[in-house]
Amino acid sequence: MTKRVLLHVGTPKTGTSYLQDVLFRNRPVLAEHDILYPAERFDDQFLAALDLMRLPWGGLETEAVGAWDRLAARVRAWDGTAIISHEILATASRSQVGRALESLGHRDGVEIHVVLSVRDLVRQIPAEWQENVKHRRTLSYARFLEEIRDPQRDSRIATWFWGVQEVPDILDRWGHDLPPERLHLVTVPGPGGPPSLLWQRFSRVLGLDGLELDLEAERANPSLGVPETALLRRINQAVIHDLDPPDYRPLVRELLAHRTLSRRTDTPRLALPPDVHPWAQDLAAAWAGEIKDRGYDVVGDLADLVGAPPVQEWADPDHPREKQVAGAALDAISALLLENAKLRHAEERLAGELHEAHRALERAYLRPTYRFREKTVRRLRGSRAGRGALKAYRVARGRSSRSE
Amino acid sequence: MTGGHEDTPGVRRAWGWLRHLQAGGTTAWADWSGPGPAGGRVLPGAQQLELLRRLNLVGVPSEALVHRVLTASAPGRGRPDLELAGAVDRPRFGPPPVDPADLPDDELLRVAANLLAEDVVAGEPVPEPAPGWVRPWRRRYRLLGDPALAVPLRTELIARGRPPGGRNAVVLVLGTDLGQMLADVWEHRCFGDGGATWRRWLDSLARRDVLPPRADLLRIAEAWTGRPGRGRVEVVLDPAAVADLVGVRRLSPPPPPVPADAADLARRVSAVLSLLVTPPRREVLLRQTLRPRLAGVAGPPVVVPEEHRAWVHTRAVRMRDGLLDAGYAVHGDPDALLPRARPGAAEPSDAGALALSLRLLLERDAATTGHTDHGSHDGGHDGEETTR
Repeated sequence: MTKRVLLHVGTPKTGTSYLQDVLFRNRPVLAEHDILYPAERFDDQFLAALDLMRLPWGGLETEAVGAWDRLAARVRAWDGTAIISHEILATASRSQVGRALESLGHRDGVEIHVVLSVRDLVRQIPAEWQENVKHRRTLSYARFLEEIRDPQRDSRIATWFWGVQEVPDILDRWGHDLPPERLHLVTVPGPGGPPSLLWQRFSRVLGLDGLELDLEAERANPSLGVPETALLRRINQAVIHDLDPPDYRPLVRELLAHRTLSRRTDTPRLALPPDVHPWAQDLAAAWAGEIKDRGYDVVGDLADLVGAPPVQEWADPDHPREKQVAGAALDAISALLLENAKLRHAEERLAGELHEAHRALERAYLRPTYRFREKTVRRLRGSRAGRGALKAYRVARGRSSRSE
Repeated sequence: MTGGHEDTPGVRRAWGWLRHLQAGGTTAWADWSGPGPAGGRVLPGAQQLELLRRLNLVGVPSEALVHRVLTASAPGRGRPDLELAGAVDRPRFGPPPVDPADLPDDELLRVAANLLAEDVVAGEPVPEPAPGWVRPWRRRYRLLGDPALAVPLRTELIARGRPPGGRNAVVLVLGTDLGQMLADVWEHRCFGDGGATWRRWLDSLARRDVLPPRADLLRIAEAWTGRPGRGRVEVVLDPAAVADLVGVRRLSPPPPPVPADAADLARRVSAVLSLLVTPPRREVLLRQTLRPRLAGVAGPPVVVPEEHRAWVHTRAVRMRDGLLDAGYAVHGDPDALLPRARPGAAEPSDAGALALSLRLLLERDAATTGHTDHGSHDGGHDGEETTR
């Protein structure tokens, strides 16, 4: 029976990819210290979250069937501490939370802790818009801001945004059945803080202090600048109806966004418009007050939630500098040409192999002995003695297809 | 969601309404005033409560179904479980409360599709007819093209000992008017991978000026012409000609299309099933468990909406001319490819799909629990508790 389960449920864009990468790659070291990070592949816990919440995800959900129950079974069978981490768990409804806690042994004496890493809205709002753009959306930044500020919150954009970002509501849903001291809030340090500080906070709350872990990140979710995000949005507008998610993911999200455009770091960064800034800071201050009143365990500083002051020169991604967008587009075209050249070479090689296979097939059909041999094999297969003779013949001939 | 420990007049009114609905009541939330004691971990969301009220309006759900409705979460992206307006003050955090009567049908359908998918998984698929003993003298054939024509005929022929394939099999590309073929392919997708709505799917095809592979008869014919070991490729636009071409006296007519609302409901259920079972199993469940239950449902099928008729006509002309120019044998009138005006719905309606989902939930409930009284009733008046 697991003694403790640490359930890290969000929020997105708070170093979760880095944390999950470290946990995944250090599973053997963790296991030596009785800590289970249950995952055979990197996205196992993402699939489990999709399964728990019955959340379609561009076709990936077909790989998620039964994933949560498998995860929960591994956790229940572990006699130590187990860590589960995925940021989309933040959107779980109360009934889904109830199912999750129960499946992890909440009513059977397992000590469950919920961890929520949080970052100021000043950075989270533009980051969430950028994530939307990287997930095939085409809406402008202005429209995004308008939708999330609409008090009705009935659009899909607003529903998702607040589902994964509204800290008191997430803690309300996940903490309904838990005492406040088992709810831990990890704040992301403000910009300019020491890069290792966030990891130190995660390490502390997850009980990893003192372990020899490899902290070199292999996976990350890099950010884009203003012209790069604007370009990606225009690309979405042009191809979104024709490029299905299985093609979009490797070509646009991975190749263009992550591997090409994210390298352009000398362009303006996304930020909140100056007129939206006070609203976001007021809201964050209200959240911080609520969290303090509820008595949760805060790892870090609630002042981190308020965020930095407005930027001096705000760059509007809906009206970017076209020269900068053109520069980003040139990099994108170069990357696509190189990728295309690579695929052309692969295509030529495969076409050659296919041509050879077709020719071999045609030769086999056209040879006058083909039908005779086909008939003989069919007859031999009809009797036990015949099958034995065929087997002996194939063994003698050394064909790999003798089991056919 | 309001927890079981909260105690205000509004919250007590909400628990009272829950009791009323659990007892079969149909009073709308806005008309309800009776209080009740807290009775659970949390008060269910407005979507779940309103769905239960709608079920009560058309039948008598069993306790088991009531429990399932109240504990279901809406799958996929959309609005979270919502509080009842009037039960709680506007909370400082979280989504605003709503009057359940104001919820769009689409929100209720999300919860209903979740429950239906569970029913489909628990149901027994109607087995396909077993393959008959293979006739050695059978004519070799392959059936391709419009899935509404090709799939049932292939199934029947396999059952009659005439499986497709074989050396020099004649390739029969089945089709009808292009508008109908598009509707058939979309319906086929609804009972398979699911995917986009009828309008969105059609908009995308028209924008790209492409046909789905199963409706693109010219492309199918061209692809099979180049394959080694195949027989001749023939296009069949006259359904009556198929029997003779595959060497049997007669074949059953294909089943009629399912109504637009039923196909759309299947599409929604397919999306949930993708998270419950593997893709091959999903297709079996949709075609052999859900589809038979929808076979007798009345309603208009989908038809090509006005704005896409010109495009469909252009593509049909291009297909007809391409097939004739390429010299393929065509059985039937080539003009049969041109779209014809048919009665139908330009798009499914959420209200129709919701009504159908309620009926299917109650039917399944009756079959598993023995409840048979599915007539509408007017129990549960304001402030009264009706008992089941």
